[in-house]
Amino acid sequence: MDNVLLLFLIVPLAAGILALLVPGKARGPKELIILAATFLNLLIAAVFFKTGLTYSFPWVPGIGLEFSLRLYHFSAFIILAAAAFAFLIALYSIVSLAEKPYAKQFFAYFLITLGFVNGAVLADNLLLLLFFWEGQLITLFLMISVGNKAAFKTATKALIIVGITDLCLMVGIALTGHLAGTLTISKINLPLDALGGMAFVFLMIGAISKAGSMPFHSWIPDAAVDAPLPFMAFLPASLEKLIGIYLLARISLDMFQLHPASWISTMMMIIGAVTILLAVMMALVQTDYKRLLSYHAISQVGYMVLGIGTAVPIGIVGGLFHMINHAMYKSCLFLTGGAVEKQAGTTSLDKLGGLARKMPITFACFIVAAAAISGAPPFNGFFSKELVYDGALERGFIFYLAAVAGSFLTAASFLKLGHAAYLGKIREENRNVKEAPLLMLIPMVVIALGCIVFGVYNKLPLQALIQPILGPERLAGHSFAGWPAKAALVIATFVVLAAAFLNHRFGVRKNGSGLKASDHIHYAPILRGIYDRAEKRFFDPYDIGLKAVNMLSEIAWQCDRAVDWIYDTLVVRVTYACTHQIKKAHNGNYATYLVWSLVGFLLVVVFLLQSVKM
Amino acid sequence: MDNAFILLEIVFIPIVGSLLLPLFGLISSRLRNFLALLFVLCSFALSLALIPPVLSGETLTFSKQLALGFNFVLVADGLAVFMACVSSFISAIIVLYSFDYISHYENRNEYYFMMVLFLGSMMGLVLSGNLIFLYFFWEMTALTSWRLIGFFREKTHVLKANKAFLVTIFGALAMLVGFIIIYNQTGSFDLAVIKESFKTIPVANLAVLLILAGIFSKSATLPFHTWLPDAGVAPSPVTAMLHAAILVKIGTYVFARLFLATFALVTDWHTIILVITAASALIAAGAAMIEKDIKRIVAYSTISQIGFIFFGLAVGNQTAVAGGLLYIMMHGLAKAGLFLGAGVIEQNTGIRDITKLGGLIRTMPVTAAAFLGCSLSVMGIPPFGGFFSKYLLFSGAISSGRIAIALVFLVGAFMTIIYLFRLFNMVFMGEPQTSRAKEKSPMMVACVMLLAVLSLAGGIFINYPSHFVQVAVQGMVGLIN
Repeated sequence: MDNVLLLFLIVPLAAGILALLVPGKARGPKELIILAATFLNLLIAAVFFKTGLTYSFPWVPGIGLEFSLRLYHFSAFIILAAAAFAFLIALYSIVSLAEKPYAKQFFAYFLITLGFVNGAVLADNLLLLLFFWEGQLITLFLMISVGNKAAFKTATKALIIVGITDLCLMVGIALTGHLAGTLTISKINLPLDALGGMAFVFLMIGAISKAGSMPFHSWIPDAAVDAPLPFMAFLPASLEKLIGIYLLARISLDMFQLHPASWISTMMMIIGAVTILLAVMMALVQTDYKRLLSYHAISQVGYMVLGIGTAVPIGIVGGLFHMINHAMYKSCLFLTGGAVEKQAGTTSLDKLGGLARKMPITFACFIVAAAAISGAPPFNGFFSKELVYDGALERGFIFYLAAVAGSFLTAASFLKLGHAAYLGKIREENRNVKEAPLLMLIPMVVIALGCIVFGVYNKLPLQALIQPILGPERLAGHSFAGWPAKAALVIATFVVLAAAFLNHRFGVRKNGSGLKASDHIHYAPILRGIYDRAEKRFFDPYDIGLKAVNMLSEIAWQCDRAVDWIYDTLVVRVTYACTHQIKKAHNGNYATYLVWSLVGFLLVVVFLLQSVKM
Repeated sequence: MDNAFILLEIVFIPIVGSLLLPLFGLISSRLRNFLALLFVLCSFALSLALIPPVLSGETLTFSKQLALGFNFVLVADGLAVFMACVSSFISAIIVLYSFDYISHYENRNEYYFMMVLFLGSMMGLVLSGNLIFLYFFWEMTALTSWRLIGFFREKTHVLKANKAFLVTIFGALAMLVGFIIIYNQTGSFDLAVIKESFKTIPVANLAVLLILAGIFSKSATLPFHTWLPDAGVAPSPVTAMLHAAILVKIGTYVFARLFLATFALVTDWHTIILVITAASALIAAGAAMIEKDIKRIVAYSTISQIGFIFFGLAVGNQTAVAGGLLYIMMHGLAKAGLFLGAGVIEQNTGIRDITKLGGLIRTMPVTAAAFLGCSLSVMGIPPFGGFFSKYLLFSGAISSGRIAIALVFLVGAFMTIIYLFRLFNMVFMGEPQTSRAKEKSPMMVACVMLLAVLSLAGGIFINYPSHFVQVAVQGMVGLIN
């Protein structure tokens, strides 16, 4: 019975391999495979949701690699959420990728990724987790690289960034295994001493990099432009967030004893706060629908890392709730972006406008999701953000301030995006744009409805899914469902949202259009210079890192050449110099040779006499 | 059949057979090619036949008394059989690949003669239970590789071959002096006797130093490494043989054979070796980032990866040594694939400068896929086999408390990802810069693909090699806890 857990691996992986084998041109087989597989996956995730199952066999004895899977409330939650997103996005992809030559490959990589994600979430052995976790690199690379012509560069960037952080995760796992004496996740509970802290940091790097936090974020905006359409909704918006934050929660809550007093908690909050602010600042000035969204996909991770980093129950609940909420509204937003791209042929905001009347359902979904991400009630994002605010305030006003400032800018940039894409005058070439096909609308509407349900009935997700993760001891009888407890924080949120709206009005009046509504911030005295440099990628950690590696390589290369010089030049010269001297002695003069011989003979005699005497 | 007799066959079928190959070549080149492959496969099949007894804990020995106490002893324990299997198997694929690669060059008789003799010497080396014969086979590999590197006979090629020969011979002579010091200490060249003797007395530091010089020169480790990229002038299957199957793995094997399986080193030596190999891994990785010649890049990558193998062996606990041995296997498969892939590219485009290549994925998709697979295995990305060996190295190092060194190697692992992707992108991605180069020989491409698939299979079925390696490690005396 417990080996049904293997279905979570077998179904998507087998379907993925099958999808690679079927002929790609024919319409039908590949679509059937991806739909059937993702649906089946969703079905088993739903059926076995409430059951606690474990399954295990020794895979490689001797190195601690046990093939052990564990389905319990937390992993079941992530599995179910991932399965739901996968199914909906698969539905969407069938239409949106219909005419693309790479559809078959994309579907296959999609399914294989799903299988690996399932494996990583279910794994109860750190090494097995790493196997499935790092294994996603290959399909990540392939999924991006099938996109447009320059996509392979972005794919390489993604692979290098995530690959490097996965190696950090590997070191963290080796260190954790050494400290704990076991690789079984459910048996690990370590204090955060010096080595424990080091292990934690390495594991955390792997987790937040997967989630797309700064400073490991910079491939995401590039992928938004280059990768196939549904990719962003599938990985950076939903699945990678889910598993990244899942691992972060596992290490912070279960595997290590993270206390609010520890420096690691503070460090995580700083990473979270910085990510929120810097990414949203970049989002504000974007002029491309998908690129703007991708910066929000980074910024919102900040709230999750900040929430979990507070290490107080309300913050952790908020961070985890934000994870699922974000996966919903952000995938919905990317899907609207995809719909606009498919129908209008572009996502560049200066070529869009007035689409609300042409694509009313898409627009309605956009409104819901944008309100949710901006933290407006009664949508899900409002409730999770309030919880994070509360937790952040408990730890320090500055963190609260960063979170609220992030919300202000988030709201501002979504007002700009909505205004520029959907309102205003429609452009001549967009006159004939129609609403997206039904199969693309269904996923958007379902997810948008989810955003409302998770907001209005937030009891459902909080009590059934999120709070059990913390366990009864941490919660100590509290429940965070319902309307936020602190009225003052709610009022502050309203003020911030109102300010964002007024700011937008001001920007539109001053600069003339919705697209330029944030120009007064973009071109503000000091910010202007910073933005200019950021747009030229001066601050891209990837570019900086590559430069450092190139410098290091140049030094290494010089060392290498120096060693080679010894062999190719020095040794040769020394040899020639020596032989030259000896050659000189051979001058052809009979008398000289005779003298040499005599001297040699004398030396032999002296030596022999010496030895005889001894 | 008597098991001890198998040992003789493993060594002498390729050695004696290689001498006959030129004669068969006079009759028919097809027959010669077929026999060359057959001899290598014989070695492989017989090595495989030794796995069951070795796994059950047996050690097979063949011994013949010779004059002056130079006994001819062949010993097959876990370590030897593991190396023999890996080397002979990869060599067999390389010989198969050679059929098409070498078919339009001169001196093919000599080529097959040297290739099979090369493999035979390797078999002799790994099975030798006596230092003098170990040295003898060691020098035989030097001689054959000297001929093979300079195979194309161009003047610069011959110079590079001479360089490889001189550097490795210099190391080997140093090592021989080290062996003689050991002989003075123990009164024997027989490894079994030496093992017994060193249970009571420590090994002389000078001997260790001299032997290390030999090992590092053969395994192309800093500061004796620059002959290896220069040896890239050889035909591609030869470079694959040098890098993946035989030559540079000899040093790592002798390291494991002497410093782990025969006697123990003091901890200071481990630290010194770790520092040298870490520097070697980093400097070579840096050079791989800068180089523009496809084969030189892969060669520097080998130097860097050899550093990783020594990292595992020098950390010296059970996990790390097992990781190091697995690394020999996984790196061998993947690196052979990279060199053979480079050979396909070189033959079909005539270009080795990666700045002049590009977009080949469109015309050579199978080669590209296989090349990518092998690269991923070298990088250590699951589900490829390289993942497990890399993990074991780090896991072992960390449990021995060598965290600082582990972090240096972590940087090396970062750079591995970067330079291999730089190579892949420059060659296969972007705009095509050459005329449409096709994958002409299906056999050659199939060999590359086979190696990529095996790298993948090595990861998925990791439990078999892992089990074997665990058994091989168990008998070692030089392990630290």
